Amino acid sequence: MITITRSPPYLTVQNGGRRNSRSLGVPRGGAMDLFAVRAVNAIVGNSLEAAALEWALGGGAVRFERDCVVAIGGATARATLAGRIIPPCTASYARAGDELIVDQLTSGRFLYLGCDGGIDVPILLGSRCTYLPGHFGGFEGRTLRSGDTLKLGERPFARPAEGFHSAADLMPRYDSEIVHVIRGTRADLFDESDWRTFTESDYKISMASDRTGYKLEGPVIKNSLGNLPSEAGCPGAIQIPGDGLPIALMADAPTIGGYPKIAVISEADLPILAQRRPGESIRFQLITIEQSQRALKRRASDMQTISQLASRS
Amino acid sequence: MTPSSHSSPLHAQPLGDSAVAIVFGTERSAQLLHEIHSAARALEAARFPHVEDVVPAYLALTVFYDSLRISYREISAGLLAACEGVVDFAKAPTPRTHRIPVRYDGPDLDFIASSTGLAVDDVVARHLGRSYTVDLLGFVPGFGYLGELDPALQLPRRDQPRPRVTAGSVAIAAAQTAVYPLDTPGGWHIIGSTSTVMFDPARNPPALLAPGDTVQFERVQ
Repeated sequence: MITITRSPPYLTVQNGGRRNSRSLGVPRGGAMDLFAVRAVNAIVGNSLEAAALEWALGGGAVRFERDCVVAIGGATARATLAGRIIPPCTASYARAGDELIVDQLTSGRFLYLGCDGGIDVPILLGSRCTYLPGHFGGFEGRTLRSGDTLKLGERPFARPAEGFHSAADLMPRYDSEIVHVIRGTRADLFDESDWRTFTESDYKISMASDRTGYKLEGPVIKNSLGNLPSEAGCPGAIQIPGDGLPIALMADAPTIGGYPKIAVISEADLPILAQRRPGESIRFQLITIEQSQRALKRRASDMQTISQLASRS
Repeated sequence: MTPSSHSSPLHAQPLGDSAVAIVFGTERSAQLLHEIHSAARALEAARFPHVEDVVPAYLALTVFYDSLRISYREISAGLLAACEGVVDFAKAPTPRTHRIPVRYDGPDLDFIASSTGLAVDDVVARHLGRSYTVDLLGFVPGFGYLGELDPALQLPRRDQPRPRVTAGSVAIAAAQTAVYPLDTPGGWHIIGSTSTVMFDPARNPPALLAPGDTVQFERVQ
């Protein structure tokens, strides 16, 4: 078990998300930074789809009630385990009773904390992830509070060596200014000058950004398209509503919506946007679906590499 | 159902790395929606490898797939071929009728009345005056797009979506009406509210409504 001794303002149980209930309107959901949640799992020796903690908006602390291999990743944090600083993306051995304290998140937005065995909450609609708007999944469908205790799954047979560390070149370039996109389902409705605006301007993440979508601030993309018949959406889709300011849909993206989609963020780069804070900016660069799928495969193979190195460490 | 009845040739478009929209037409119609649902059922029944989800909508159905196992080019060719030849062999489930009690107390009732030039009572009477078909399920869990709204009540969506629409809100936009199953941002005009639970993940099936079902609203005070 682990106990939340001092909850940060936002803490939920997440994993890779729900992938077989979209036809009921259930969003994929899951971790905002899919790469990071899988990486912390790989580093502690879990299956990539195990559930971990998604942590944001400030510091907090958890206590491990059994011996545990733990790792943090995603956002950068000043964190200690039993009083000793723990580096990111590194397997650390916690003893029963040890407390992990996150002082603060120094950069990025979502920190992931993986424990070997994974967080053992019930599987609902195929996943352990929390869907806050629907008050279901994860731990009682809600954010975690101080005093909550969570069960852990059975520890994996093979344990990575203490101090095993995933190399930075296997991780996304979170500091990249560029986020790659492919053309969206309504790309044709935007003319050349709209596309120039979209790809040649800096867009700043607005305060109006959450797990459902990030509103972006920057040059307006004119939109006289009105309402379109509702069509499917997905995390990473960039839609242009009536006010012309793009909204990048994120993990809890509605399964269907009516605003035209100019582009969709390359899945390999979505963690980069997910980790941007309000006030920080990005720029979009167009690539083809073939290039984008190749980039995603590279990410997946990097993840395999991390898993293999962890199991051999 | 023959491919020649499509209002434009079937084509595929990527929706990001792991989904493909199979576009059936450019104009909404009951016929097109029927074809799309038939094709969606056929694809579900065919159990295409590497497919996660099939999501029907008004002009297209979108297939979510595992793009680490199959490329966009490969899956879109396979899906197009399968959709070209769709006949309605996978029988539609028997539609059900749902009676949903509504309190007509929505914050947009006056706005709807003034924008349509109708009296509030007339707005309510027209909303109650017909039964609706569940066109689609989507947006958020259990949200049914119900058609077709009385033409006199059809208004475009709000330019600025509300940051929060409460669960149970009954709303209208364009040719549709719907019940919001949970608290969510929303751009539709709120006409009333209901206590009916539209989605419960512990229920089987979790969603009250299914495409093809009929909904009849009933006024409560």
